[in-house]
Amino acid sequence: MKDPLPFDHRPDAVLGKALREALDPGDAPAFIARVLARAEHVRVASWDAVLARWARAGVAAALFIALAGGYFVGRAAASPAAIRPTVSDVLIAPPAHPGEVEVVLASVIGNN
Amino acid sequence: MADPQPPPQAARIAQQDEADLVARAVSGEREAFGVLVERYAGVARRVARAVLGNPEDADDAAQDAMLSALVKLQQYDPRRPFGPWLLRIVANAATDRRRRRSVRRVEPLDVGLTAGGPRPDTTAERRALNERLREALAELPERRRMAVVLFDVEGYTHGEIAAVLGIPEGTVRSEVFHARRRLRVLLADWKEE
Repeated sequence: MKDPLPFDHRPDAVLGKALREALDPGDAPAFIARVLARAEHVRVASWDAVLARWARAGVAAALFIALAGGYFVGRAAASPAAIRPTVSDVLIAPPAHPGEVEVVLASVIGNN
Repeated sequence: MADPQPPPQAARIAQQDEADLVARAVSGEREAFGVLVERYAGVARRVARAVLGNPEDADDAAQDAMLSALVKLQQYDPRRPFGPWLLRIVANAATDRRRRRSVRRVEPLDVGLTAGGPRPDTTAERRALNERLREALAELPERRRMAVVLFDVEGYTHGEIAAVLGIPEGTVRSEVFHARRRLRVLLADWKEE
């Protein structure tokens, strides 16, 4: 690939050496030991672990939805039978709006 | 950003070796992760120090980055080189830590130092030069610092540095150019003394 800018592509050995020395923190073994000691307490997230975690949440969510759905379906199926009046209930029960019928009849008789 | 050139034979072997180490580390083999830590501890600490200045903060950031990388190892694409992937995590960890650290700013570089101030005692020459370089580095914008360290100290290509910093290759070239110009002046002054 042709370079569009006239910059030096090679690392500057002198500058690099000086910077390396300036930035060198020293005591590499202690740092490595520290990182590895902390790494002992870190769990690597593997795909199967991630899937297992999601699967557990998925199963719990599916169970909840199934239970909630069952409850509402059962309630919907049971409610019409529970409130449907029998023939005897209808015959015995007083009319829902008796006053209105009487008012209408009275006004008709009065007009006559 | 252009695709990087195919890596040479040695780099391919190293890449394959690192992909293998990562696979073993993911499967729980801590020795494999240990090899990766040993291999990249130096560069991770230097890059973090280039960002943070303070060596203790830098080591904390490098450590956090390595542990974060361990957790995210599953996300690493083994077809790509491991170094830039890890160093991106290191750079982000160091940058985050610097943002959180609102105090303890590095003092601006003393003009007297860059202009060739009084020559320090000969026994402390090397230490003084290191100090001057760190101060000069601290004056550069963060991205420029990382670019020059990754290019001139660690030997990464412009393409790899672009991947680490998430910027175009041309910008990396520009950052390295400007950083070098500044730091070379300092080195030249030092040699002339």
